[in-house]
Amino acid sequence: MSSIKRAVSLYSYQDEYVRGKLTLEGCLQELAEIGVEGVEVITDQMFHNTPETDDASIKNWKRIVEETGIVPVCNDIFINTNLYHNRMLTKKENLDFLKKELVQASKLGFPMVRLVSATPADIIEEALPLAEELNVIMALEVHAGMALDNALTKKFTDIMFKLDSPYLGLVVDTGIFCRRHPRVSTAFFLDQGLNPEIVKYIDDIFASGDDPLELSHNKLPEDLEKMVRSRIDREYILFAGGYENKDFSVLDPYMPYVKHFHGKFWEMTEEGTEYSIPYKELIEYLKEKGYDGYIASEYEGGRFALPGTEIDAVAQVRKQQDMLRSYI
Amino acid sequence: MFDNYVLTDNSLENVKKDGEITGYKMRTRITYYRGIPLSMVHDIQVEVDGQEVPRERIRFSPDGEIYFTLEEMKTVTSYKWEYGQEGIVYVEQPGGLAPGEHKIKLTQVSRVAYIPVPFSGTQTKTLTVN
Repeated sequence: MSSIKRAVSLYSYQDEYVRGKLTLEGCLQELAEIGVEGVEVITDQMFHNTPETDDASIKNWKRIVEETGIVPVCNDIFINTNLYHNRMLTKKENLDFLKKELVQASKLGFPMVRLVSATPADIIEEALPLAEELNVIMALEVHAGMALDNALTKKFTDIMFKLDSPYLGLVVDTGIFCRRHPRVSTAFFLDQGLNPEIVKYIDDIFASGDDPLELSHNKLPEDLEKMVRSRIDREYILFAGGYENKDFSVLDPYMPYVKHFHGKFWEMTEEGTEYSIPYKELIEYLKEKGYDGYIASEYEGGRFALPGTEIDAVAQVRKQQDMLRSYI
Repeated sequence: MFDNYVLTDNSLENVKKDGEITGYKMRTRITYYRGIPLSMVHDIQVEVDGQEVPRERIRFSPDGEIYFTLEEMKTVTSYKWEYGQEGIVYVEQPGGLAPGEHKIKLTQVSRVAYIPVPFSGTQTKTLTVN
């Protein structure tokens, strides 16, 4: 038993929510029922008129939290830098939006906001005094496809190391530890006519211990380009760059700043493991490092549901939580 | 991906105002996982029975109450299209659509904060006007 804690990101239940099968309250009741400690919320998803949601919504949220006993852990926020079609927001506009998000997160009782990948780094230092005052941590998401070596991520981590504040850190998405390409995604694209030769090409890259990150962001190698027959083939290759196959040790220098994990998953297998990500080994690594924060289930397999099939995120999250509980 | 959200089943109907049919409408959900201000809804395209509808005849409403043209929407930041909320796509066409089946292709394009290119969703369905 370690001190790692479990949460669920309500991102997981987006399809159930949009189809009216689960309300915000229903989501938290589900977490209480399966014995999860914490919750992560995308406020833009389940609250209206963010970042200035009304007092009634805040009051209702507080009631739900109190009745279910679930701990608010992380609030996923976005700065709409491309709010207008003809220009990007100015630094001042970005900063003002970030401040509004911090205030809203604080009112909702979240101790941390997750800044999405590519959040402008130049507003962080000026937002820090407010974050300190409100007692809300700002943590940048490190997501596969834009991970630690990405230039925008580096801009943030440079500031994070320089300021070395307890209110600045990282949220690591475990999609950077894919040992295999998610096969539910492969099945989804095959159904749309993906060339099976490309499947093998990408699978072989993972099998060799590498990932298609560089490949998908640059001009394709000649042998792969020859296999591309359709838009679907190109899309599959582009998406494949969103799964990285990194060693856990890439986190070594960052661990003191890691505030939270997104326990990304696409498919819980019959054996009770995730098809792509080696969670057992990951949790061993985190125990060694003395990590005592949360891992929040983030189910993303729903977007690869085959036409005519129902998404059952509730069942998938339950399975992943069972797995996490047994490893922790 | 999110294409299944684009066009709601059985949602095509003619719209009457003061006893006259002024056009037709259909319902749509955002092809993304969060709500966005209307200015970030980059484009909406409608094709009916293989014919593209001129952009200036399309109106969008995030709530069924307030309608904007696509040109107007470019600057609308005070209304959001919330996740899970069905928006209305209205097409101005006196007389509306003839009763019976129509092949409708609806496309939504949004700007997503951290993805450099606009993000689109399309769905084609045969819907019936009663």
